[in-house]
Amino acid sequence: MAASDTIGVTRAWVPWAWSGFLIAVLAFLVLYPTSMLLIGALTTTNPVVEGYKLADLSIGNFLTVAMNPNVAGALVNSLIACGGGTIVAVAIGLGFAWVVVRTNTPCKGLIASAGMLPLFVPPLVAGVAWSILGSPKTGLLNLVFAKTGIPLHLDLYSMPGMIFVFGIYYAPYVYMFTAAALRNMDPALEEAAEISGASALRTMATVTFPLIMPAILSGMLLSFIVMLGIYGIPAVLGAPANLSVLTTYIFALTAWSPPRYNTAAAVAVLLMIVTGLLVFLQQKVVARRSYTTVAGKAFRPRSLNLGPWRFMTLALAIVYLFVVVVLPSIALFIAAFRKFLFIRDIPSLFETKQYGWQHFTKMFDNPLTITSIINSMKVGIITAVVGGILSFAIGYTITRARVPGKRIIDVITTIPVAIPGLVIGVAYLWAWIGLPGGLYGTLWILALAFVARFIPDTVKALSTSLMQIHRELEEAAWICGRGTLSTIASIVLPLARPGVVAAMTLLFILSIRELGSSLFLYSSGTMVMAVQLLGYYEGGNVGITAAFSLVQMVLLGGLITFTNWLTRSAAAPTAAAQTGGIARSG
Amino acid sequence: MSSELRVEQLRKVFPTTNKAAVDDVSFTIAAGEIVVLLGPSGCGKTTTLRCVAGLEHPTSGKIVIGGTVYTDPQAGVLVPPRNRNLGMVFQSYAVWPHMTVRQNVAYPLKSRKVSGAALDKGVKEALELVELADYADRPVTQLSGGQMQRVALARSMVYQPQILLLDEPLSNLDAQLRLRLRDDLRRIIKRVGLTALYVTHDQTEAVVLGDRIGVMRDGKLLQLDTPSEIYNQPADLFVAGFTGATNVLDGRVVARDGGGGTVAVASGEHLIARMGDGVAVGAAVRVASRPDNVGLAPAVEGPNQFLGRVTTRHYQGTQTVYQVTVLGATIEALEVGSAARHAEGSAVTVALPPGVCWAYPV
Repeated sequence: MAASDTIGVTRAWVPWAWSGFLIAVLAFLVLYPTSMLLIGALTTTNPVVEGYKLADLSIGNFLTVAMNPNVAGALVNSLIACGGGTIVAVAIGLGFAWVVVRTNTPCKGLIASAGMLPLFVPPLVAGVAWSILGSPKTGLLNLVFAKTGIPLHLDLYSMPGMIFVFGIYYAPYVYMFTAAALRNMDPALEEAAEISGASALRTMATVTFPLIMPAILSGMLLSFIVMLGIYGIPAVLGAPANLSVLTTYIFALTAWSPPRYNTAAAVAVLLMIVTGLLVFLQQKVVARRSYTTVAGKAFRPRSLNLGPWRFMTLALAIVYLFVVVVLPSIALFIAAFRKFLFIRDIPSLFETKQYGWQHFTKMFDNPLTITSIINSMKVGIITAVVGGILSFAIGYTITRARVPGKRIIDVITTIPVAIPGLVIGVAYLWAWIGLPGGLYGTLWILALAFVARFIPDTVKALSTSLMQIHRELEEAAWICGRGTLSTIASIVLPLARPGVVAAMTLLFILSIRELGSSLFLYSSGTMVMAVQLLGYYEGGNVGITAAFSLVQMVLLGGLITFTNWLTRSAAAPTAAAQTGGIARSG
Repeated sequence: MSSELRVEQLRKVFPTTNKAAVDDVSFTIAAGEIVVLLGPSGCGKTTTLRCVAGLEHPTSGKIVIGGTVYTDPQAGVLVPPRNRNLGMVFQSYAVWPHMTVRQNVAYPLKSRKVSGAALDKGVKEALELVELADYADRPVTQLSGGQMQRVALARSMVYQPQILLLDEPLSNLDAQLRLRLRDDLRRIIKRVGLTALYVTHDQTEAVVLGDRIGVMRDGKLLQLDTPSEIYNQPADLFVAGFTGATNVLDGRVVARDGGGGTVAVASGEHLIARMGDGVAVGAAVRVASRPDNVGLAPAVEGPNQFLGRVTTRHYQGTQTVYQVTVLGATIEALEVGSAARHAEGSAVTVALPPGVCWAYPV
């Protein structure tokens, strides 16, 4: 009997304690702020002045806000802008996918990778670039049109303007989904239709299109969801025309004096409900058995010989790339390096003496610029480390560990998918602003909000790479006499390292470009880059705004290149998840 | 209304490899006949079939179906697949997953503007033929692999095509199902009386299904004959090897006699074998024979009997494979039955019946 004491017996309480710990951490990160947001939406008390009171909890408060015509107007604007944007995105993304996968258009590999570039541009930068190009009075394109006698006048400070910019920037999302579906489709399915006597058009309508429909629908819903949570584009393009959408309306409420925190919470809840419904719908579409992955085998996609028409499709693709990549870059460069954006005529665009580094000098003279860059880096590192460790712990627990409550952990981890960044920001605001001496006003609140916001993406990416490590590799270590922790340290972690590194760099990149949730959580001492950029834009200095946009783009570009270099040997799913993660966050 | 298929000097060069995938292939399939193209992967059999279907465009050559030219690149004739009135069964089944069984089978009829009672009748008959009438309203994704393949078959026959093309239709099925469906396939095709071109890399499948078998290699059609001729009179060493004649002995012809001759092998002993007219005395040859035709310790005396020694014995339950050292080489002999009669190391008399030993010039 004495011998059995010396042999380690698995202690029954350990799995329970571990699950309890994870659930507690997730509750702190996700459930507590969300509950505070809901409470905020149902009360009328000001948390800053009166602290948290549950006394006047009533659904009436929420309904009063929801029925408000301004809120309804913002909701309608949101739906129109995102709906229109989605239609444009589907038209472009689907066409692009077809050209790249199914035709013999020249240079299509290059076209495909260049087409993904818009995904990496922060929405605020996109908005700024297009306001420089298409503002009704001083837009560069309007100038070019006027001076060259083209009878065209653009006004991007409008609903069509928002729809256009949304559409072109989120088309890659639809492209990713539909291109994969087209590529994975067994060409024999279409050949069978042709053999059966169907014309090319009938084959497309009765076989090709229905088969990729789930992918189109899925990409469509996801781009809609992402657009719904975007602040940068409507803030820049909608505000001058007095067009508010839900996101800009929520921020306006907290910027009022005195801030309308309760109303903001109620509108945020409304946005969360709409997003939640769409996410639910999207999950249903995805859950339906996807037709195209049935065979699970690589196909050589049928490529249509377009003959001379292939130069037409090439030209169309080049036009798209010119509009989404080249034009905005030119706009940012001109605005950032030119002394005055007032341009008399076309030749003056090319006068070198008009260009210089003055906006950059002025920008770096402002101490807030450097502070915001340093703060962003700090927040990025905290987010990456905390989020990376937590994601690994959760990912391992969900995929491997035999502990109770796995399902609950999984569900709580997935909740943030349905919460736009801006709503997370409002929720964290509500959760901490009323607690003196708490997190509010520190960099940690930003980092924790980011961890909560991005945890579904990183856990998913890590789970994928964990699932590729065969269970028997771990079991072999157990048989060799290793304990659970020792096995994780010596077997799982080394094998999953590329995935973990990718997830952490992804968190870093996402957090330094995150604007939506930062808006509500920064304070004068914790300024971050994305908010500082908005500050420059709202301060009205286009030159400095463009210069700072370029600085951010160079930083992001460098980081993404570095990550790609890091993960080039890592599992492909991680890289794919990374693109997906950036896309979901807008 | 099945038709004759005539393929004349078909040649297909893929621009990417610049090598002829199909090289001067000609054959004719009579109306109602089943011809199987057999060969290892990359031999050009599938490309040939896809050229007949119109899915691949040959570089040159002619494809004539029922007297009408459907493909003739030199004359600029290239009828698209939809106007060829052919049926095709794909390796991956290619049943449309977003449709029910009925919708899949009705699709080609609808393309032909058949509707109403005629449509229902056609679909019903086709489904009865493949014994899937009870499954008509199931989504195809709920069917097993074998059932999906039968849907594909019904779909390819419902409009009475001129010719039925089958591209390795059984290779995605598990072994047992493959055996059953193999017999079903021949029965169904024969009952409808269709002309069929069938492609496979499985020799037993080819033997069971085909009226005639065409063996292909490197884009060339090496031999097109009945299964019995392919097995017993392989045209060359490759056909012999591919269909199972794996014992090869090197030697030199020392005498000729009608359709046969005498070959001196490595050990100096003389072996009688059949050989083509072109093989002259003095030529270096390889003699191929099948392990199942090699006799061990025959009861009667005869030609081509030699003394050998069993080196290894592989007992396989219902048969035993021996490796025997004889004629200065090692060959395999197969003994049917569950009782293995020869021990390793024992001396045996080895009989190579002259009628099934074929000598090919090297």
